[in-house]
Amino acid sequence: MTTIETPQASPTTDAEKQALLSVRDLGVSFRTEGGEARAVDGVSFDLFPGEVLGIVGESGSGKSVTSLAIMRLIPDPPGKIVSGQIMYGGEDIVQKSYPDMRDVRGNKIAMIFQEPMTALNPVFTVGMQVMETILTHEKVSKSEARDRAVEMLEKVGIPEARKRLKDYPHQFSGGMRQRVMIALALVCHPNILIADEPTTALDVTTQAQILELMLDLKSQKEDSSIILITHDLAVVAETCQRVIVMYGGKIQEVGTVEQIFTDPKHPYTKGLLASLPSTSEAKQKRLYTIPGNVPALHEMPEGCKFCTRCSEVVDRCHSEEPPVHQLDSGQLVRCHLFEEEK
Amino acid sequence: MAEPLLEVRNLTVRFPIWGGVLRHKVAEVRAVDDVSLTLYKGETLGLVGESGCGKTTAAKAICNILKDTAPGVIEQGEILFHGKGEPVNLLELSRGDMRPYRQLIQMIFQDPFSSLNPRMTVREIIERPLIVHTDMTADARRNRVHELLEKVGLQAAYDTRYPHEFSGGQRQRIGIARSLAARPQLIIADEPVSALDVSVQSQVINLLQDLQDEFDLTFLFVAHDLSVVYHISDRIAVMYLGNMVEIGDAETVYRQPQHPYSQALLSAVPQPNPSKTREDRIKLKGEIPSPLNKPKGCGFHPRCPLAIDACSKDVPQLAEKESGQLAACPVT
Amino acid sequence: MTAYFIRRLLLMIPTFLGVTMIAFMITRFLPGGPLEQELMRFRMAQAESGGGGSSMTQAGGELPQEALDELKKAFDLDKPAPVAYKNWLTRMIFDLDMGNSYKTREKVWDAISARFPISIFFGLTGFVLAYGVSVPLGIAKAIRHSSRFDFISSALVFIGYSIPGWAMGALLLVFFASGQHLDWFPLGGFESNSYDDLPSIVKKWEDIDDVSDDFGSFDREKMSLVSKVVDRIQYSVLPVFCYMIGSFATLTVLMKNSLMDNVGQDYVRTAFAKGLSPRRVIFYHALRNSLIPIATGLGHALSVIMAGSYLIEKVFNIKGIGLLGFNAIVGYDYPLVMGILSINIMLMLFGNILSDFLYALIDPRVRFE
Repeated sequence: MTTIETPQASPTTDAEKQALLSVRDLGVSFRTEGGEARAVDGVSFDLFPGEVLGIVGESGSGKSVTSLAIMRLIPDPPGKIVSGQIMYGGEDIVQKSYPDMRDVRGNKIAMIFQEPMTALNPVFTVGMQVMETILTHEKVSKSEARDRAVEMLEKVGIPEARKRLKDYPHQFSGGMRQRVMIALALVCHPNILIADEPTTALDVTTQAQILELMLDLKSQKEDSSIILITHDLAVVAETCQRVIVMYGGKIQEVGTVEQIFTDPKHPYTKGLLASLPSTSEAKQKRLYTIPGNVPALHEMPEGCKFCTRCSEVVDRCHSEEPPVHQLDSGQLVRCHLFEEEK
Repeated sequence: MAEPLLEVRNLTVRFPIWGGVLRHKVAEVRAVDDVSLTLYKGETLGLVGESGCGKTTAAKAICNILKDTAPGVIEQGEILFHGKGEPVNLLELSRGDMRPYRQLIQMIFQDPFSSLNPRMTVREIIERPLIVHTDMTADARRNRVHELLEKVGLQAAYDTRYPHEFSGGQRQRIGIARSLAARPQLIIADEPVSALDVSVQSQVINLLQDLQDEFDLTFLFVAHDLSVVYHISDRIAVMYLGNMVEIGDAETVYRQPQHPYSQALLSAVPQPNPSKTREDRIKLKGEIPSPLNKPKGCGFHPRCPLAIDACSKDVPQLAEKESGQLAACPVT
Repeated sequence: MTAYFIRRLLLMIPTFLGVTMIAFMITRFLPGGPLEQELMRFRMAQAESGGGGSSMTQAGGELPQEALDELKKAFDLDKPAPVAYKNWLTRMIFDLDMGNSYKTREKVWDAISARFPISIFFGLTGFVLAYGVSVPLGIAKAIRHSSRFDFISSALVFIGYSIPGWAMGALLLVFFASGQHLDWFPLGGFESNSYDDLPSIVKKWEDIDDVSDDFGSFDREKMSLVSKVVDRIQYSVLPVFCYMIGSFATLTVLMKNSLMDNVGQDYVRTAFAKGLSPRRVIFYHALRNSLIPIATGLGHALSVIMAGSYLIEKVFNIKGIGLLGFNAIVGYDYPLVMGILSINIMLMLFGNILSDFLYALIDPRVRFE
């Protein structure tokens, strides 16, 4: 057994590959009425070239804040990155000046959001919004930018893209709007796409199409990676290679998708998976439940964040924050139960 | 089980679209088109479909609150309620006559944040239906509120708090307690768990099932999450563009869907099982058309992988398939 | 959408008819109408002529029946109210004739149109300045939300909001125009009495201010223009300030809140995520959206511009429409009341449509059906 302060779980197959993005000991706090709340605490992980990394968690788990921190989009005030590094291309994103950061955003790391309804500016045409990304980052003529925009919109599956450049976001359906979002995010060929709940607001059949599209575009650019933030375990199971499970602002478990779904270690991960209605086997009468509610940030317990709801809780969980343990399988687990395990 | 509680017959709801200089009707949307279904006592019927399929409109029509919430017009159809002996057509009742029935048919809403009045205490919220529908004394009402709170897994002492002091899951429990207050027979739940955290969803689903057993409730469970619907329902009905395309036993519909749309919908549902491949997934072409330009014939035929010429001409009727359910497809 | 605006324009007709009809009927049935006024005038004239003709005085100041009938005819009072209304309406529409003022015998249209330039001048200047100050101020406050600048400007703006314009006017006159403290501005009026002959005024200032050398090189015409402008500014600073002072607060706070709302929207986050500069995100993406509620107010301003304010006009002795309307109502001068009312209603109705039109113009999501 090894206990490490900065866990470096790497995909078992590409162990020697250089990480594209390395987050170390990231901490983000928010000023609230109830005082300072740590939304993200000591988060460390690597993103490797070519992989789809899933970050799952419930409301308040810190998954979205983590992704916004990578883009330096934490609303300040009330939020602030209080510790840690985010290494990208040999440089620390946290220390970057604003103009340097602009060169990263949309150009090297792009982001798409949950609500395609509100994430596009309602008073500008779709064409202008896609072209704007190109014109911000590249010295090209307007007509060239327009051609690139058309090409990108066609690529994301918008029929008659040239004609639709002049349309406004409200003239598109929800799924089409998310396609536009993807187009304006990927038009400058960033090598990391952060997708924050990209399909939560969409219908099931549209969700399948959008996920398909994202993976398809990723495979077209070698060594590009996706960070998929979601609360939906099933979406993670279908799209990701590695999974980070977050709860209470901390990473609780990291593993490959097979490990997490077939052999979860952390009691929280186990509970989450068990509480999903099973559809493959015969119907169970009652669902497994994790007792209690997700605590608000300022009500998080001392010690292990999950101790108030954990079925395998022991005394020290209430007082002592468990360290991250790396198992032989490569899985990382933040739980006292694995202290003796070899 | 065979005793019906509610029968919906040929329900058609349309929303007129007004326009032009003189504001004449320029078009209309048939949000619910000739839908028939029966709810049997004590069962749970899951109603699934994607946005715009008419499932919420149908639910509202059954509660007879369509007029109050949207300018929908019930064009034809009957909603026969068997809860009080002889069947009564709810659509023919006046507002006053509807009142005793409204007590027996309650609704649970999706958004636990907006469906509770923020300026009322939990007790006032849950007490409301008791004041409207019963002549209980204040003391009796308070006891009943406490009893209901405990039933839904909240402390009785919470009754003086306001909704904003609760988490999403707890709020949904308050909504459930309110719906139970007047001792209903039928509960229409419109996406009751989709706004909740995953770890809280299963608590609420279990609670609904426990309450169903205890109070002999009948559920119409409207949702888009198929695995939840499959879990909770005895039977499943699938809607597409205002039409009922398939209805039958939950196990059969889920395992052997007969309508091509149900098949595509089910295959699009992601599974929490990474070893399952997505290769055999049915990929649908295009998107759901706007209900304003509903295709002729079968509404699904432009996207249907199995469509034949006849599909673009006549609206297919529900017919019994080999596996036992009804499906509106002439091909399968 | 064209259909919508055609419908709105058509709907103006019944609205206009309804309002003017009700007002017209009220003027017919209220006491103190034109007949009573004529009688009063007659009696006064009699009293003045004194004991000139004793037989006449004995008649008790009664008008002969023929004269009374003639008067009734002149005021259309011999016909039933609906017919009189129809006559008033047709005369107004086809001849632009709204009758004569009972008081001054002046044509109503002439009386009103003589005041137009004054009201339009004050209304427009106040309006342009209010928007010109409030919009940038609101933007600056939004960007520096919670700063000291934000607090102080809010305090000033709200003090202005809570003081009525006319009270402020009186105060300003005492301090800046009465000569008791300062004598920077004239006490009132719209322009110097010798406005049309201004070069001489400049001479006068030359004597006072000793700026003759600067002005000496100007040719006569130019001097006349410059001095006219100076004169106009001198006379309008105080009243215009009083006109606007109330609208500062609402406009500034509306602008600030609107921009802050928009800065918190998802699309602003998207714009930042694209790598845009904060300047472009705020002044291009967010500002465009936050101007929507401000721009729709422009239509309503149309009627406000014309309405004027009785109290401010009274304080500054400006002969504007506000004062004219007030005097007309107090003096039972019904043709004048009806004339001003008709014009105001038309402006209000057009203003509303203009607002909707502007709304549809700026916000592509808006589709009126």
